[in-house]
Amino acid sequence: MDALTLSFAVINGLLLGGIYGGVALGLSLIFGVMRVINFAHGSFLMLAMYCSYLLWASLGVHPYVSILVTVPFLFGVGYVVQSVVISPLIRRERALVVEPTSALLLTAGVYLVVDNSVLMAFGPDVRSVTTDITYESIFVAGLPINLARLIGFAAAILVAFALSFWLKHSDMGRAIRATAQNRDAAALSGINVPLIYNVTFGLGCAVLGLFGALLVPFFSITPTIGLSFGIKSFLVVVLGGIGSIPGSILGGLLLGVFESVAAQFVTATSAAIFSFGLFIVILLMRPAGLMGRA
Amino acid sequence: MRASFTLILGLPLLVAALILPFVVADSYVVHSAAMVLYFAYMASSWNFVCGYVGQVSLGHAAFSGIAGYASVLLFTGLGLSPWIGMILGGVLAAAISVPVGYATFRLKGPYFTLTSIAFAEIMRIWLENTDEFLGIPLKGAQGLTVPPVGGTSFLAFQFDGKLPYYFIILAMLVGVMAATHVMERSRLGFYLKAIRGNRDGAEALGIDPTRYCLTALALSAFLTGLGGAYYAQLFRYINPERNMGIDLSIDMAVMTIVGGQGTILGPTLGALVLHPVGEMVRASLGGHVLGLHLIIYGVVLMLAVLYFPKGIIAPLQRWLTPASKTTAPQTTVTVATPKEVEGR
Repeated sequence: MDALTLSFAVINGLLLGGIYGGVALGLSLIFGVMRVINFAHGSFLMLAMYCSYLLWASLGVHPYVSILVTVPFLFGVGYVVQSVVISPLIRRERALVVEPTSALLLTAGVYLVVDNSVLMAFGPDVRSVTTDITYESIFVAGLPINLARLIGFAAAILVAFALSFWLKHSDMGRAIRATAQNRDAAALSGINVPLIYNVTFGLGCAVLGLFGALLVPFFSITPTIGLSFGIKSFLVVVLGGIGSIPGSILGGLLLGVFESVAAQFVTATSAAIFSFGLFIVILLMRPAGLMGRA
Repeated sequence: MRASFTLILGLPLLVAALILPFVVADSYVVHSAAMVLYFAYMASSWNFVCGYVGQVSLGHAAFSGIAGYASVLLFTGLGLSPWIGMILGGVLAAAISVPVGYATFRLKGPYFTLTSIAFAEIMRIWLENTDEFLGIPLKGAQGLTVPPVGGTSFLAFQFDGKLPYYFIILAMLVGVMAATHVMERSRLGFYLKAIRGNRDGAEALGIDPTRYCLTALALSAFLTGLGGAYYAQLFRYINPERNMGIDLSIDMAVMTIVGGQGTILGPTLGALVLHPVGEMVRASLGGHVLGLHLIIYGVVLMLAVLYFPKGIIAPLQRWLTPASKTTAPQTTVTVATPKEVEGR
């Protein structure tokens, strides 16, 4: 194992890990505010990827331009799923406490419907988008860096900062944080809690709209890709600390680098076993995750 | 009260199951009925964790796969009878479930569910891409076949007709129900009920939540493993997708939730209703439309969680035992019970 290959693996791992973190942001945000684990998280990412693919295949829209469509579309999907599917559960519960297992099973139902509808509509074929950016690389210190991955990585960092800033300083952001802290007190202070929930869920999904379009240039699309990204997101948020935005990025970077470096020594699928082992070890030593408050 | 209800509903079902293969001797019908029983058995095993610990596992298929592979490999490699391989595989599945549960049951929140899915999917993907591990031929996605010994051999778990397989899984199902019944009334059952009702309160009374939840998980993994080994013998074939894919985990969950979790007969009712529906959809569309039965499962799951959180067993229970309202209160704990009011 020479230093060049290893540093290449680390850089690739960092780039992909940043994107994992970006994908997991929405999951973490939704859980932080609503205490709901969205099992369909990966399915929504897959939906965004198909949306971007369709725009490219039918109208020739560049995936990066398709962001203008995928982000609002996914926001809408999230908003509707929350207000139609999940909110009856929240309304039914006394004291506005959502039992986590019910919400999880509910979103597992959403996952089944979305994934299999896409499977029905498009079949199990692997699709890919080739654009001018797919094979474009820039060289830093003699190491090739894939431009599409770099853009995805930069977007993840940027979105994490923007989201933190927005949550901290905007009115809506304050309302979201207040609802996350104590929804009854938030409701008593005149915050429209159901609306906040809808917006939060929509926002968590809108982030997926962005990353779906950013992934399309270098990731093949299949109906099952959602689940594999969903599972990575679960690992990432638990690693980083559920509900923490910087934790999500950090967890993503850790997972990405670990997988990429381990894949230099063993096959990529065996590397996944090791990253699961790492995950269990971290869970045992730091149950709240790297950035979570215990 | 509940025992009598279980008998009122369960005995006729059992009698029907016992005479069915003699009334309809068609081997397709017997095979389909065996599949219903298999799913009822798997859902009942799953119910041990969800129905009594109150944690949703979406990775139980891994236990089925681990035990299935263990029993097949022990048979093909060492010539060990699948009956023994089944038990050893179940023990292996239980042993593997412990670290996963130990790391996550100590934590409040959705950690266990997320970890269980990740565990099962990583295991499946690894198995699909591994042809050989430490000299053991796993044959990746292609799967393993059980070599026929020729004719009927009880020791080799191979029979000519479908009938013996049918009665074996029926016996296993009755066994898991009996185990659930005993567990409900044992110290473990009461501890689990206490933990589920109020974890902090139970802990204050000296019940170690992690320990008892782990016991239930290991039992459940063991039972699921037996089912996985049975499946491998029934088809004489095992592959990662069918025996440890997420679809199997979800089938177990949906059937239990729809039927009524935390009850002895609920999972069986769920399998009895849902498996034939899934089969009919698959058969009538001739495989042209992939995944339609899973869409139906998804919709049914959502409707059940929202409108029938106690499952279809709850209205049946009201009709069959109208007096139960005035006597002992319901002891089942359902998905919908608000457990703890978190201050955040």
